[in-house]
Amino acid sequence: MTRATQKAARIVFFLSAAASAMAAALVFGFLLVFGFPLIGGGEFFSLLTRPWSPGQGLYGFLPMITGTAAISFLSIVFAFPLSLGTVCFMGGLGPARISRLVDGFVRFMTGIPTVIYGFLGIFLLVPVVRTLFTSAGSGMCILSASLMLSLLVSPTMIIFFKDGFDSVDFRYIQAADALGADSVQRLIYVILPEAWPGIVTGVIMGLGRAMGDTLIALMIAGNAVHVPGSILDSARTLTSHIALVSASDYESLAFKSIFACGLTLYVLNALAVIAVRRLDGKRGQA
Amino acid sequence: MFGRIRTGIIKKMGIAAISLLTVAALFLGAAQAGAIDQFSGLKGDIRISGGTAHIPVMKEAAKQIMSANPEISISIAGGGSGVGIKQVGEGIVDIGNSGRAPSEAEKEKYGLKLFKWAIDGVGVAVNPGNPVTALTKAQLKDIYSGKITNWKDLGGSDAPITVYTRDASSGTRAVFWKKALGKGDIVSSANFVVSNGAMKTAIANDPNAIGYVSVGHMDVSVAGVSLDGVSPAIETVKSGEYTVARGLYSNTKGDPSGLTKLFIAYLLSPEGQQIVVQKGFVPVN
Amino acid sequence: MNIRLLGGCLRVFSWGAVLVLTGSVLVLLGYLLIKGVPSLGRDLIFGQVDILDAVLLRKRVFDGLFPAIAGTLSVVALSVGLAIPVGVCAGIYMSEFATVFQQRVFGLMFDILAGIPSIVIGLFGFSGAIFIHRYISNDFRPCLAVSVAALAFLVLPYITRTTQAAMQGLAEQTRQAALALGATRVQNIFYVLLPRSVSGILSGIILAIGRCAEDTAVIMLTGVVATAGIPGSLLGSYEALPFYIYYISSQYTDEAELMSGYGAAIILLGVCAVLFFLAFIIKRRLAGPAGPVTGRFHG
Repeated sequence: MTRATQKAARIVFFLSAAASAMAAALVFGFLLVFGFPLIGGGEFFSLLTRPWSPGQGLYGFLPMITGTAAISFLSIVFAFPLSLGTVCFMGGLGPARISRLVDGFVRFMTGIPTVIYGFLGIFLLVPVVRTLFTSAGSGMCILSASLMLSLLVSPTMIIFFKDGFDSVDFRYIQAADALGADSVQRLIYVILPEAWPGIVTGVIMGLGRAMGDTLIALMIAGNAVHVPGSILDSARTLTSHIALVSASDYESLAFKSIFACGLTLYVLNALAVIAVRRLDGKRGQA
Repeated sequence: MFGRIRTGIIKKMGIAAISLLTVAALFLGAAQAGAIDQFSGLKGDIRISGGTAHIPVMKEAAKQIMSANPEISISIAGGGSGVGIKQVGEGIVDIGNSGRAPSEAEKEKYGLKLFKWAIDGVGVAVNPGNPVTALTKAQLKDIYSGKITNWKDLGGSDAPITVYTRDASSGTRAVFWKKALGKGDIVSSANFVVSNGAMKTAIANDPNAIGYVSVGHMDVSVAGVSLDGVSPAIETVKSGEYTVARGLYSNTKGDPSGLTKLFIAYLLSPEGQQIVVQKGFVPVN
Repeated sequence: MNIRLLGGCLRVFSWGAVLVLTGSVLVLLGYLLIKGVPSLGRDLIFGQVDILDAVLLRKRVFDGLFPAIAGTLSVVALSVGLAIPVGVCAGIYMSEFATVFQQRVFGLMFDILAGIPSIVIGLFGFSGAIFIHRYISNDFRPCLAVSVAALAFLVLPYITRTTQAAMQGLAEQTRQAALALGATRVQNIFYVLLPRSVSGILSGIILAIGRCAEDTAVIMLTGVVATAGIPGSLLGSYEALPFYIYYISSQYTDEAELMSGYGAAIILLGVCAVLFFLAFIIKRRLAGPAGPVTGRFHG
């Protein structure tokens, strides 16, 4: 390998890394430029608080923000106990052989496409919700979407929780064992207190995944444009709003406001990433 | 063998008859294959998008054309009438379908040429299990504006009404809003669906649903609701009795040429109009 | 609080969590299989057309999933093919050449890119297509090429991260042996580090393939349509399996179409299962020579 080739190789490596890093900035740039008419002039914050009614010139996405918040947080409410319980199970409260099976199954779950959760939600979950709760109307509501979403984000949360558990200093665990602790005591007194950064990271990542998902909300949350009043109400998320409006327009002000929606999601995501990196920093990783 | 048959009147008549029949068959055959034949030997692609009511006819027409001519590729997307008009205006597709006539402003801005190839109606529909089968326009307005919220107020069972509607781009919605709803309000808790097909599925699966769908799309899975005494059916649309009607248009930017022109000609041809009837709409020819 | 009682509750709770989680998913998948397996068969994919005719592109398939499957295969192959060189090179740079500052900044950007919701990436792809349409070529529009580029953006972080992790995860002696013998850093990368990181990089690629195959949000906005036949050119529309499932779920016109939706879901799930097992086998091979890799505190 000649000197020249090697120099070329280093340049290629650097350019690839720089280009990849630029990608995130490029996405942000396009969103900003395309949404400018509605974002410029300080209008952005008013968009966050107004309702959506294109017929009356209102392009705010307050209903969608509440929809996203309601569905995402509710799904974390469902997913958190499921994930924590599963990780505790894998961490000693369950027999080792079954733990391995569960671990494999959870990894398999990470590969299940969201569109399949949405598809099955429509035909299996929505009718059940509709018959159980008469005020749920069609059954397409926040509750249905959150239940499905919790299944989607649980594997993500489990993996991060498990990382947190695994990163507890082994000497602490050995110390607990040496003092005669059984698996429950070890879990409660040593592992859980030490693993909390991993748990917080897991919740943030799960929340991020829940907020960023489009298909489940699009298919089973009903897509109504009001601010939801109860979990049995139909609602629309920021993500499904983008999908619905882009499918039907790309010129008007209504469409330009979608870019403001996209920017909101982008900023939320960036904040989550920064928060997680800070937490990782606390654990001593670069 | 033929040398032995002497040329006689019968043979002459036989030859004449056979020739006539052959010519007639060729002629009829040619007329039958006429519109499809125009495509033979051509290649290229046609991009179509827009109104969702048009899709069944588009798919069948595309299938006929592509089966006979594998070199031609036709892609069909939905999105609603608004999308069709915008996309054909911007040059993103070759044919933009709309379930409403483009407005003067749209026609001028994009230089659109319209081709109406079917007449359709927009009917109010409920789940087949719903006992309510007739409404007045006033009741419809109240349902959609949120004043009436329970089926029992209309003589049905005690259950909340789930209102379904379409997005702003939909021509079906525009016609419904103008002609059936009298430009009334649509409550903000209404569920949104993205196409006529989706509306049908939603109503079929929800016992308390009410929505509006293209008459051509209506089948046993939904129950049409008569409006002021007139039920939405192809016959009443044809006769003009059911007034919530609209034409199905295919729009092009400027005068169509090449494959696009042939496709539109196909839609207006006897074969095309037969597909229109087959799919449940009123033909224009 | 009595530790025994708490422990007992915790045990019950964790068993309950595992049962609810695995139970719900198994119920869902079981329902899918029960409903969908009857519809699997030659007709589901190829409609009325002969298999050979369809695959050799002699005849068009109108009523089968073949065009959607072909579309998904094309878009996955092209986008992963686009992302691999860029991602691997970027990962190599991050692992071998980046300064601490660069690692922090680039790392942050990669993490942000990884977390962007897929619909926002789709929106970006769409706006890019419109930009090109308006200012560069009026014939350009959302098409296969746009989807490929957008999906490449989506999966780039997966490949970059796993490449970086694989290379950094090699034992120090392995990383430094060649250098000690006088090799340059680039030679070290090509002759020593890369060959030993192949398993890790492959896992990343498999992850990327899975992500591209299942994605719906990005392709919805960048060129996929309901009816287009097999992808003819990069600048044309195409169909895809996940979009078909979404589309059919809300707009099926009869029982047969709904069943085909179930069948399509099973096929998609099957693809994901295959990828999962592939990744599992690769992980096994990776763990082989180094010994079993387990959590440090397993029961």
